[in-house]
Amino acid sequence: MIIVAFLTGVLLICGSLIFNRNKFINYLLVALFGTMLLGFGAYQYNNINTIQLSFFKPDSLGILLLLALCFISIPILFHSYRYIEKFNPDETPRSRGLFFAAMVLLISACGVAYLSNHIAVTWIFVELTTLSASVLIYHHRNIRALEGVWKYVFICAISITFIYVGILFLSLSLKQAGIDDMSFDSIRANYDKLNLFWLKLSFLFIFTGFTAKLGLVPMFTAGVDAKDKAPAPAGALLASILMNLGFVGIYRVYAIMTHTPLHTWANTVIIIAALLSVFVSAVYMTRIRNIKRMFAYSGIEHMGLVMLGLAAGGVGVYAAILHIILHTLVKPALFLQYNQIYWVYQSKSIYDVGNYFKYNKTGAIVILLAFISATAMPPSGLFVSEFLIFQSLFQSHYILILVTVLILLTLIIWGFGSNVFKLLFSPSPKTMDKSAIPEISPWESFSQYVLLAAAVYMAYNPPQRFVELIQDAVKLIQ
Amino acid sequence: MIDILLIALAMTLLYMSIANRLHTYLRILVFQGFILFGATYLTLTNVNTVNLLLIMLETIVFKSIAVPWFMSYIIKRNKISRAAEPYLPYFVSLLIVTIIIVLAIILSSSIKDANLDKTYFVVALSTMFTGLYLIVSRKKIITHVIGYLVIENGVFVLSLAVGNEMPMLVNLGIMLDIFASVLILGIFFNKIGDVIKNPDVDLLNNLRD
Amino acid sequence: MISFLLIILASFFFMGVVVRTKSIASGRRGPGIFQPMKDILRLLKKGSVYSKTTSLIFKIAPVAYLSSVLMAILMVPHGNNPGFISFDGDFVMFAYVLAFGKFMIIISALDTGSSFEGMGASREALYSMLVEPAFFILMGSFALYTGHTSFFTIFSTLHYGSYISYMLGALATFVFVLIAMIENSRMPVDDPKTHLELTMIHEVMVLDNSGFDLGLIQYTSYLKFAMYGAIISNFFIGVLPFWISIPMFLVVQFGFAIAVGVIESFMARFRMGHNPQFIFILTSVSMLIFFGALLVLGKFM
Repeated sequence: MIIVAFLTGVLLICGSLIFNRNKFINYLLVALFGTMLLGFGAYQYNNINTIQLSFFKPDSLGILLLLALCFISIPILFHSYRYIEKFNPDETPRSRGLFFAAMVLLISACGVAYLSNHIAVTWIFVELTTLSASVLIYHHRNIRALEGVWKYVFICAISITFIYVGILFLSLSLKQAGIDDMSFDSIRANYDKLNLFWLKLSFLFIFTGFTAKLGLVPMFTAGVDAKDKAPAPAGALLASILMNLGFVGIYRVYAIMTHTPLHTWANTVIIIAALLSVFVSAVYMTRIRNIKRMFAYSGIEHMGLVMLGLAAGGVGVYAAILHIILHTLVKPALFLQYNQIYWVYQSKSIYDVGNYFKYNKTGAIVILLAFISATAMPPSGLFVSEFLIFQSLFQSHYILILVTVLILLTLIIWGFGSNVFKLLFSPSPKTMDKSAIPEISPWESFSQYVLLAAAVYMAYNPPQRFVELIQDAVKLIQ
Repeated sequence: MIDILLIALAMTLLYMSIANRLHTYLRILVFQGFILFGATYLTLTNVNTVNLLLIMLETIVFKSIAVPWFMSYIIKRNKISRAAEPYLPYFVSLLIVTIIIVLAIILSSSIKDANLDKTYFVVALSTMFTGLYLIVSRKKIITHVIGYLVIENGVFVLSLAVGNEMPMLVNLGIMLDIFASVLILGIFFNKIGDVIKNPDVDLLNNLRD
Repeated sequence: MISFLLIILASFFFMGVVVRTKSIASGRRGPGIFQPMKDILRLLKKGSVYSKTTSLIFKIAPVAYLSSVLMAILMVPHGNNPGFISFDGDFVMFAYVLAFGKFMIIISALDTGSSFEGMGASREALYSMLVEPAFFILMGSFALYTGHTSFFTIFSTLHYGSYISYMLGALATFVFVLIAMIENSRMPVDDPKTHLELTMIHEVMVLDNSGFDLGLIQYTSYLKFAMYGAIISNFFIGVLPFWISIPMFLVVQFGFAIAVGVIESFMARFRMGHNPQFIFILTSVSMLIFFGALLVLGKFM
């Protein structure tokens, strides 16, 4: 019931955001949505593992991701307010309303989709996220944004079709057992009766479809273009909660596969895709010139590592879930800081930036710390999860893959690092007009510090409840 | 009787591979919509009448009337030139589509499952891959959209194969159709036409590293 | 024996009906039904002129062409009667005997040393090559469907049971009509009335033949039409008794001739570059017929 109430509330807020032109009411509505979201998260946390509305069940993985979503939505909504208010003061009321409505819809669709117990319901909400994300990408309404949104919509449409075909094959594999109910619970209860051939095909199609959201080979290009063209707060959302949605979809289907004899085959498929993703990310990182795309490719690398941990098994699954949650905290920090970088340099290219320390000390330290986090160097939180992933790869005797990944990660650190150090330390380009650079208040970077600190805290001193939830989620696979 | 309709659908794919003008593509799409209409009526005998009427209405209204009309409106409005520009000559396209159909036949004859009606599987698979091929081998953006619609028709045939047991899946497929058509065609193609004249895929190459 | 006689009989009036149909479709009265035969008789009475650059091939090619077609006709059955020559796999020999005749004409065209004739010869060879798989797959589907491999046994055991076999029969008729049009170099692949040498295909191959040879070649093409019409009529005749099958045969030949005339009147010739696609489509469609035959047999399930 509460889900219906939440969704109706969200739709009402979206409607009023679109039709209402008054700035103050818009911000009020967004704040109202923020509180609604927190209330929803708290409610679901208290009602863990209860079936709601016969299609939704907040199991531990869903709750973890939902709480992470709630936690980062607040700074992201705040920064989107700052984005509209300070960095783009010439927004029309209509585009502002659309922007906020799309953000609200995206956040709620992702949040509710984490909880779904039925693959078709996840699929419907993935469609909704495509719709809202495309509105966000098209926000600037120029030809480059149009190009980005067209590519995004097209690839996502094809991926959605693939997921649908996978659902059809899944139903075929259930048909033999005579099961009508396609929810994950009922599939889990009937492991031995599934037709393996159709299950194989269905996993292949569903996996390929979800890689568009998750950001793996072969459909990662949609996500990269999207994060490049969308405004930075929207890019932060796309890079964190949308990728988590892809992860949830694949995780639940993979959980079905682990109990069947197809476990090793599914592992092989995932390892191939993940290794190729890390490879692609390494190739692009070394020659990238656009700062936002660099952040996007770093996200792809992290997702590749997560999938490797998932396929490696053992402690890798725990590490994968931990890594995804920490990534959800760290990546938005990068994207939110990007607004200030753009405000200072008025350019996305790496050739036009330099000496960031002089213009925005607090922001530069954020970039430094976020770089340390994103490349998983200690003392960042991601170090713990990546180390555990490598440990699990070693324990599962995937030595060659481990060595390859380490070499590729070195390349990525080099690429990422050379760009970030150019941004921070090298002298600013001579073509820049130094007198026109605005003052940026240090408080703009405050939320990013909080996010990075939360990542460190969650990794090194996790609350007991947090660890229990992750272990509970891991049990789905065992 | 249903086999005849499905084989006719496979024949329209062959015709589509050598079609020269964009209007021919649209006419083939209309014809495919009618075929799917008949196929739905003949296949879904276990579904209750209201649901069946809804599905059939959707096939006729959407696939045969609304979408082709809208696409011809877009073609006229954006003054897109009438020829479809392929990267490969038409003869090679025909060969490739024929090979796709043969491969689909071979593939599905190697499936030992008795649960699935093989004709559906062959036709659905060949339609999906032909649609994918159309997307890859044509220059214009509007033929990409047409290729996507062909893929959707193939997915619809596949959903008919399981539709008797789980009619909800057929409804989901229709939702996919409507969603994708509205989103891709309605919102964005209009905008692309406004901004880019005579859209080629080459113009979409600005967004790269 | 009876099929041989019937085909020769049909060849007398076939082309006349085609020309008459075309005339009526253009609003004229047109010549009589037997006018083409009278033209051939006129040609047969004349002498031939042989160019100095030609060799023996040029002299014997028309006769070889005619005899190959006559031999092919010997294999076509009629209803319950097999042709003179009937053995397992005879439709393969049928196709290759016809190919032999075409080969003789092609090399006689090359023999004249004229580049125009060479161009027509190469196009003709290409189109025959492209249409050959269609014929074989079609006959193969029917062989699969009935379980026999000789023309006579296939057609005598052909019966239509389910819906899909009717569809197969209709599709096969359509494909056969088009194969006949292509093999005889008619529209929409080749325009027999075109005067432009760049667009001729078959006409240009016989530019240098004259008199008796030209008469032979023209009569051979009428024979080929009647032969294909006979094969098509076999789809419908089955094992009916004589007093039904002969009138049906004549009706089918008549209908075929009218259909040819109508197609020639209302369709323009395709652009030369589009011809290969068009011809290859027949192969693809016949492959779908093959698939349909598999379906009907239940071999696919």
